[in-house]
Amino acid sequence: MLSLALPGASWAHRLPVGVKLAGLAVVMVGAMQLRDPWVIALALVGLVGLYASLGRAGLAAGLRAARSLFWIVAVILLWHLVTDQARLGLTLGLRVFLMVGLANFVTLTTPLPELIALIEWLAQPLSRLGLSPRLPALSVALMVRFIPILQGRFGQLGLAWRARSRRRPGSRLLAPLSFSLLDDAEHLAEALRARGGLAPRKQGKD
Amino acid sequence: MTQPPLRVIAIENVTLAREGQGVFAGLDLRLTERRVGIVGRNGSGKSSLIRLAAGLIAPQAGRVSVNGVDVVRDREGALATVGILFQNPDHQIIFPTVIDELAFGLEQQGRPQAEAREIAREMLARFGHADWEERLCHMLSQGQRQLVCLMAVLAMGPDWVFFDEPFNSLDIPAALRIEARIAELAQNVVLVTHDPARLGGFDRVIWLDEGRIVADGAPGEVLPAYVAEMERLARAAPC
Repeated sequence: MLSLALPGASWAHRLPVGVKLAGLAVVMVGAMQLRDPWVIALALVGLVGLYASLGRAGLAAGLRAARSLFWIVAVILLWHLVTDQARLGLTLGLRVFLMVGLANFVTLTTPLPELIALIEWLAQPLSRLGLSPRLPALSVALMVRFIPILQGRFGQLGLAWRARSRRRPGSRLLAPLSFSLLDDAEHLAEALRARGGLAPRKQGKD
Repeated sequence: MTQPPLRVIAIENVTLAREGQGVFAGLDLRLTERRVGIVGRNGSGKSSLIRLAAGLIAPQAGRVSVNGVDVVRDREGALATVGILFQNPDHQIIFPTVIDELAFGLEQQGRPQAEAREIAREMLARFGHADWEERLCHMLSQGQRQLVCLMAVLAMGPDWVFFDEPFNSLDIPAALRIEARIAELAQNVVLVTHDPARLGGFDRVIWLDEGRIVADGAPGEVLPAYVAEMERLARAAPC
């Protein structure tokens, strides 16, 4: 299983999660305004520098994230080559790397409990409606946790397929993947219930 | 208090069906021993039994309580009373880093984050693994991940700890280590296994088959009969 966390105590880990997320939002809006592929490429160099500041493990984690984008970007580029808009394709492709890379950077350097605490705080108004603010907080945390599981499971199913077939699996793995994810979700729900469920502190609600 | 509160799992007239399949019909069981083993074949209801006692599944009829706590409805009370280790640690671990995994249950019990992390650190130190704090759970070995689950459960301070097939998919040293750790626990233990050799020193062994209690008593009485029956089944239906 992969993980979307990079334990450590770098400068990025020490930044408060609120600052990181607010900064991310501002930078994302800015990144959307960039239209010159050269400028985006320059920003990407800066992003690589950010990852490098986390050390060797940080750089490796960044490369892994970039590798998983390879096919998406390849499709974008191909499409724009076919429609004779190479420059636009390059802009969009580089922008995907930049934006996902930035978001991944924040995810990697933010411990999940900090993220939960922030969302719980932001969701405080929900408690006036009688809903637990922990609900959206845990949901987001679980989603973050599930992304690497999804990747890992797809890899496993692919191995199981290749062990018995000469052809590539392709889309035929989607149904078994969904089933196995439902299964995982059930296990996770049980693990969560074993430790108090979504709102343990409110008695009588579960 | 002059005498410690009684530790008792009371399962009264429980009927349980899972996914349309009947598991228990009118099961009665009262467990007070420090070490209880549950044996039986796959599908005999062993795992369902400890999930019932942990309050993870609700029976269709009957009552389940542990130390007087209604574990299905009073989840807050259940958290401080029972802990359960699933067969596969990967199904149990929710958080990427060891410290977050240990602290989570404590926060769920309503402790502030700083205090939860402090208790989690103490637990790691007690097991001689203070250096695991920032380790990634998925980078640990199977046996180490299981130990993370055990520490996470113990941190929540339960009186009872349930183990579901804890020796599966461990190598021999790891299996022996977890066996020794279980033996050392101050908590009451209910251990589900299909391996009778692990239950020699237990106080009581219950043999389940198709949701019914076939035998119930000291390991010296129950286990030989269980092994004989398993061997008979193997001979009766050769592969």
